[in-house]
Amino acid sequence: MHLSDRVTGLFLVVLGALAFWGGSLLPAVPGQDVGPAAFPMVIGGGLVLCGALIALGIGRSFEAPEAADDAPPPGLAARIGGWAAFLPPALLIFYVLVSERLGFLPTAALMLLATARALGASWRLAAGVALLAPLAVHLAFAKLLRVPLPDGVLPAPW
Amino acid sequence: MNAVLEAFQMVATTEVAIAILASAVYGMVIGALPGLTATMATALLVPVTFYLSPIAAIATIITSSAMAIFSGDIPGALMRIPGTPASAAYTDEAYAMTRKGQAEVALGAALWFSAIGGIVGTVALMIMAPALAEVALSFSTYEYFWLSFLGLMCATLVARSSPIKAIAAALLGLLVTCIGIENPGGVPRFTFGMTDLLGGIEPLPALVGVFAVSEIMRAMTSAPPPPIPHRPLGSILAGQWALTRRYNKQMWRGNIVGVLIGALPGAGADMAAWIAYANSKRFSKEPEKFGTGHPEGLVESGAANNSALAGGWVPATLFGIPGDTITAIAIGVLYMKGLNPGPTLFTEKASSMYALYIVFIIANILMIPLGIVMIRLSRHVLRAPRAAAMPLILLLCAVGAFAIGNNPFAVVLVAVFGVIGYVMERNGYPVAALVLGIVMGTMVEQTFVTSLIKSDGALLPFFERPVSAGLAALTIAALAWPVLVWMLRRLRRAEPAR
Repeated sequence: MHLSDRVTGLFLVVLGALAFWGGSLLPAVPGQDVGPAAFPMVIGGGLVLCGALIALGIGRSFEAPEAADDAPPPGLAARIGGWAAFLPPALLIFYVLVSERLGFLPTAALMLLATARALGASWRLAAGVALLAPLAVHLAFAKLLRVPLPDGVLPAPW
Repeated sequence: MNAVLEAFQMVATTEVAIAILASAVYGMVIGALPGLTATMATALLVPVTFYLSPIAAIATIITSSAMAIFSGDIPGALMRIPGTPASAAYTDEAYAMTRKGQAEVALGAALWFSAIGGIVGTVALMIMAPALAEVALSFSTYEYFWLSFLGLMCATLVARSSPIKAIAAALLGLLVTCIGIENPGGVPRFTFGMTDLLGGIEPLPALVGVFAVSEIMRAMTSAPPPPIPHRPLGSILAGQWALTRRYNKQMWRGNIVGVLIGALPGAGADMAAWIAYANSKRFSKEPEKFGTGHPEGLVESGAANNSALAGGWVPATLFGIPGDTITAIAIGVLYMKGLNPGPTLFTEKASSMYALYIVFIIANILMIPLGIVMIRLSRHVLRAPRAAAMPLILLLCAVGAFAIGNNPFAVVLVAVFGVIGYVMERNGYPVAALVLGIVMGTMVEQTFVTSLIKSDGALLPFFERPVSAGLAALTIAALAWPVLVWMLRRLRRAEPAR
C-alpha cells in the first residue's frame, strides 16, 4: 500500500477540512466563547496545512530511504501481492461477525488456519496451530480470567 | 521509612513474584522473536493486568518490557535481525562480532550492560521524579498544556522521518480523541450516530491495532527470517568486567543519555540507542573500528536503551505524559489501578512508588540469570516458525481487545487501527506520533480549553508565568528546529555551487 505523497497529503487536507467544518457545526456552551468546537477546528486547520505541505513535497529530504525487500514473500502474498496484508484485519472483522453464532473455538481455529497458511505454513503445522492454540487461549482467558467467550455450536470441554 | 517497608511488603507476595517471573519469561521470548516488539508485548499484556492487584499489574509491565528490550539483542547478534527496534542501532556491530567468533562476548555485553543500564535508570528515576514532583505541584493548566504540547513536538522531532508527516500523524491522533461525548460541551462529537463511539476511542485497542496487527500485516508480505546457524557459545559473562572497566566512561555516558532521552516525552529506547551509538562513535579514540565488531558502541547503546526504559517513567508518573510508547500503555494501567499519575502520587501513594522502584531493580537483577538461560536456549526459541507465532498473536489481539470491556466493538477498532498503522508506516508517517496524540489528546484539549476559559480567550497568559514561558520557548524551538536544519542544509548546498 505505497501511496504517493500527493495522495496522502490531499487526503489529510480533505480530512482536516471536514474536521474543521464538522467542528464548527457543534453547539457552543451558552455564555462561553470556547467550547467543544475549538479543539477540532484547531486540529482541522493544522491537518489542512500539514497535508498541503506534504502534497507539495516539503520536508521529504528528512525521510530515510525505504529499505528494499527483494526476498520473495511467503504463501498468500506470492499469489495476490500486497493485498495479502489485509487478511489479518479482515479476519478480525470475521471474528466479530461470526464468533457469537459459531462459537469461540471454531472461529478461532478458522482464523489461525487462514493466517498460518497465508504465511506459508505447511498444512500439518497450520492444522496443529489451529487445533491447539484456541484451546490454550480459551483455557487462559475464559477459564482463568473469566472472560465470557461465546460458546456457539461447540462449547469448550471445561 | 514506613513507606519503604510497606513497599517491600507489597512486593513480597506470591502474586507479585509469580507475575514478575511469568512476565519475565514472556518478555524474553517476545523480545527475541523478530517482528514482535517490546511495545507489542506490553499492549498484549494489558487485558491480563485487569485481573491482577495494582502492584502485580505494574510489575508485569515493567518486567516484560525490560526483558524484551534486552532479548531483542539476541537475534540481532546471532542473525543480524533486531528482535525489537531498540536493538536496531547496533545490530550490525553485534553481528560483526559474532562473525569474528565472539558471539558470547556480544551477547554477554548486551545482557550485562542492559542490566546495569536498567539499574542506573531506576536510580535516576528515584532521584529525579520526587525532586521534579515538588516543582510540578505548582503547575497550572498553562504549564500542563505546554508540557503535553512539548511532548507531542518532541515525538515529531525524534521521528526518523519528515517532521511534517510526524506532526500530521500526531494531529491525526489528536483528532481521534475528539470522538465521543467527553469534551468541554458534553455533546456527541464526530460519533456519526453510533452509540459505540459515544464513549470515545479507548487508547488500548488503538495501540494493539497499531503495534500488533500492523506488524502481522507486514509479516504477510515480507519473507520469513532465515534459519539460525548453529554456533557453540562460550561463557557469557566472562570478560564483561574487563569491558566494564575499559569502557567505563562510555557506559556512564550511555546511561545518562538513555535516561535523558527516555525522560523526554515521546522518545524512547530505540531513539536512545541510536543517539548513544552515534555519540560513542563520535567521541571514540578508535572510530575506524566501528562496524567491524568493536564492543565500544555496543556497551554505550546497550546501556542506553535499558536506562531509557526507566527514564520514560519519569514524565509518565509525574504528569501522565508518556516518555515512550511503553509508558503510553502503562499510564492507562496506572489510571485503571487507581494510581493516577501526578505529583501527588509521590506524597499520597509513596509506598506504591517505592514498590515500583523495587520491581524495577528486581527485574534488572533477574535479567542476568534469565538472560543467560535465554541466550543458551535461543537456538530453539528462534526456530519457532513465524507462521505459527503470528496467527497466535492475531488471536490474542482479538481476545485481548474483547476482554477489556467484553465489547466486540473493541475488536473492530483493533482491525481499523491495524490498517491505519500499516498504511501510515508504509507511507513514512511515524505511528509513535499517532499513538502519543491518542494518549495525550484528552489532556491537551482539557488544558487548552480550560486555560482559554480562564484567560477569557486571550493568548497572552499562556506566556506570562515563568515556567510556562520557558516551556513555550522550548516548544516553539522544537517547532522551528526542522525549519532551521532545512535552511542550513540549503545554505551548505548553495555554497559549493558558487
